[in-house]
Amino acid sequence: MSMEDYDFLFKIVLIGNAGVGKTCLVRRFTQGLFPPGQGATIGVDFMIKTVEINGEKVKLQIWDTAGQERFRSITQSYYRSANALILTYDITCEESFRCLPEWLREIEQYASNKVITVLVGNKIDLAERREVSQQRAEEFSEAQDMYYLETSAKESDNVEKLFLDLACRLISEARQNTLVNNVSSPLPGEGKSISYLTCCNFN
Amino acid sequence: MADSLPTEFDVVIIGTGLPESILAAACSRSGQRVLHLDSRSYYGGNWASFSFSGLLSWLKECQQNSDFEEESAAVWQDLIRETEAAITLCRKDETIQHTEVFCYASQDVDDNMEETDALQRTPSSEASSTLTKPPDSACLAEETHHVTSYEMPAKDTAKNVGKISLEITDVEETLVKESNCGDKTCIHTVSDGDKDENKPVVKDNTDQPKRNSITYSQIVKEGRRFNIDLVSKLLYSQGLLIDLLIKSNVSRYAEFKNVTRILTFREGKVEQVPCSRADVFNSKALTMVEKRMLMKFLTFCVDYEQHPDEYQAFMQCSFSEYLKTKKLTPSLQHFVLHSIAMTESSCTTIDGLKATKNFLQCLGRFGNTPFLFPLYGQGEIPQCFCRMCAVFGGIYCLRHKVQCFVVDKESGRCKAIIDHFGQRINAKYFIVEDSYLSEDTCSNVRYKQISRAVLITDQSILKTDSDQQISILIVPPAEPGTCAVRVIELCSSTMTCMKDTYLVHLTCSSSKTAREDLESVVKKLFIPYGETEIDKEEVTKPRLLWALYFNMRDSSGISRSSYNGLPSNIYVCSGPDCGLGNEHAVRQAQTLFQEIFPSEEFCPPPPNPDDIIFDGDDKQPEAPETKNIIIAKLESSEECKNLESPGKHLQN
Repeated sequence: MSMEDYDFLFKIVLIGNAGVGKTCLVRRFTQGLFPPGQGATIGVDFMIKTVEINGEKVKLQIWDTAGQERFRSITQSYYRSANALILTYDITCEESFRCLPEWLREIEQYASNKVITVLVGNKIDLAERREVSQQRAEEFSEAQDMYYLETSAKESDNVEKLFLDLACRLISEARQNTLVNNVSSPLPGEGKSISYLTCCNFN
Repeated sequence: MADSLPTEFDVVIIGTGLPESILAAACSRSGQRVLHLDSRSYYGGNWASFSFSGLLSWLKECQQNSDFEEESAAVWQDLIRETEAAITLCRKDETIQHTEVFCYASQDVDDNMEETDALQRTPSSEASSTLTKPPDSACLAEETHHVTSYEMPAKDTAKNVGKISLEITDVEETLVKESNCGDKTCIHTVSDGDKDENKPVVKDNTDQPKRNSITYSQIVKEGRRFNIDLVSKLLYSQGLLIDLLIKSNVSRYAEFKNVTRILTFREGKVEQVPCSRADVFNSKALTMVEKRMLMKFLTFCVDYEQHPDEYQAFMQCSFSEYLKTKKLTPSLQHFVLHSIAMTESSCTTIDGLKATKNFLQCLGRFGNTPFLFPLYGQGEIPQCFCRMCAVFGGIYCLRHKVQCFVVDKESGRCKAIIDHFGQRINAKYFIVEDSYLSEDTCSNVRYKQISRAVLITDQSILKTDSDQQISILIVPPAEPGTCAVRVIELCSSTMTCMKDTYLVHLTCSSSKTAREDLESVVKKLFIPYGETEIDKEEVTKPRLLWALYFNMRDSSGISRSSYNGLPSNIYVCSGPDCGLGNEHAVRQAQTLFQEIFPSEEFCPPPPNPDDIIFDGDDKQPEAPETKNIIIAKLESSEECKNLESPGKHLQN
């Protein structure tokens, strides 16, 4: 019956300091590419990848910061109606780890209560330059009740796992929600979005 | 983040209000290198929305601003070369005045005031707790707060609790006023005590068993549920902003809800205005004859241009005079004038017809009323345009102050700005919001003012089966010469207020301070929380939990030539106007854009994310995606709607 060829659609939002590899993670996952030395991505709002999990088509819409994190100027509206957040730091950069509490504050302020947050330590291919130990990150993520994973966008380590695990968790959350869906207070994402002229549905 | 700002741009934009943000998106979209700055820590300037605590800090800032001492300007003056002149920018925001806060909700005392806590637990004060204290998280003003207390035994009230001095005030004066002066933020702590001192409080409680009691600390605790707009506007569903959002695809960053009701205030009562055909025929307020009259008139208005003979003779009259000739009953005239055309009584026949036609055309595009409201508040909209700008390479920097423009003496053109680090940033064009300009630049400018009130209430002004209504109400001026007051009531599903509360915005153009302009309307529609509800009718009125009044400067009508000595490549955007729609901001952005880049298209649709092919990519995106579906909507597939194409109704 659906006009769209998927069973689920999720909005996943990446955050974290500039240069930790957010865009690389997205491009590795959605396109299987690792663009070395890539500058800011112009004109790319979000990327889409449809994956199949247990026979169900899951469309992941993955949003990048568009460089607004560089001077700590991410718009609040970026966080709205995200189903999941991937909070990324660079394991070779202590500073990017130290900024995590600040990011968590933003999440708390602007994202929905129900958002799933995953902590990702990227660049494990540069293990010899590691500044943040795995144990420290694990302790931190545990304290913050986050799922934690280390990845390498360059070597494609754990990148698929990151997004697919997340998709699985989103599906089970979504199922739970529809079961217990007597919520009287509306949730984000309940409003209407206006999309533009030429992309109306052809049913 | 020790990242340094690039120093070469095509366009530098100062201020992140709606017109500046639209311009930023337009410039960046057409390939310009854009730097977008704001001296504040949040987006939107006077177009912003705040959480409750955010609003309190904003108030505090407004207050501090007026105490601000001018810093010495020596730092950057050394950086100006001999061939250059500087135009200093304003260091303080003077656009907000006469802020006044009233707290009516019971300010229950638990954490800091242990002694009185025991008192609070007595049954008599549970529902209508009597002690007020200054908002702790807010610390709005440093002055002492007088806390009124009526039901407390005298010996307890005499006690000094912390820094707060308790005193019994005259019951007649329910408002305890602090220094009430122009620029200062005044805090009025309002007792929610019973007016009759001797009346048993318990009785007061039993009077309203069903009403929720929201306390001040609940509001503070749930503060992030609030998104309180500084400007209160709606989007006309056929308006310029909706068209621009759709055309530019910026709409993908926001979600909207339909305004569900148009209300009217007549003879002391709030009523719903029937405006669609179905509404008119279902209306119980109208007689059959009235229904026919109204339909006939509205049908005429839709294509009034085709029937010039119907109105030509009345071109010189006001719209209200004209309506009198149209065989409409007084109540219908009232509906048309105030709730459909939403014009002032003095408006001309042609403008009235135009407004009525616009209203009718906007009906039914997305729903039953002609208006949309953005989820999370109006403050989202500028941010959405900023996101678009950033996606196309625009660089964003909040908390970034600009000290001056640098003007090349010979060419007379502005060539750079100097920021608060003394860093020089070069560009070809400069766009600046009015409030950033200094007194010198604006010495000839005469500003209008907007009067605003923000109320948190416990019930809707017109109760129906659904408690999730979004309503607009125009309260006609009480006496000729004053302005109509626009009231917009938002429910919690707009994501602008906590559950079981309503956020009510009042707006009019100022004749006096905001409180003086708006208080009479507030009193007509609401009663303060906890005030005795003697007669039955009063009980049905929603109660005020919290109220804020302020005046905002309206720079919308200022002509470019009123500013002194601005080089031709500095363009000025105005702050929010008083109007209901956003047409002024969109028109201004478009006009300025076309002035700067006459050959460029204004905000063309961006490429579909699915169609973007990266350099060196041989691979096409995997799935053959043809559309972009905007929002992940899992929770309530039933209620969620994508507004797909304009002109097309919502798909359920």
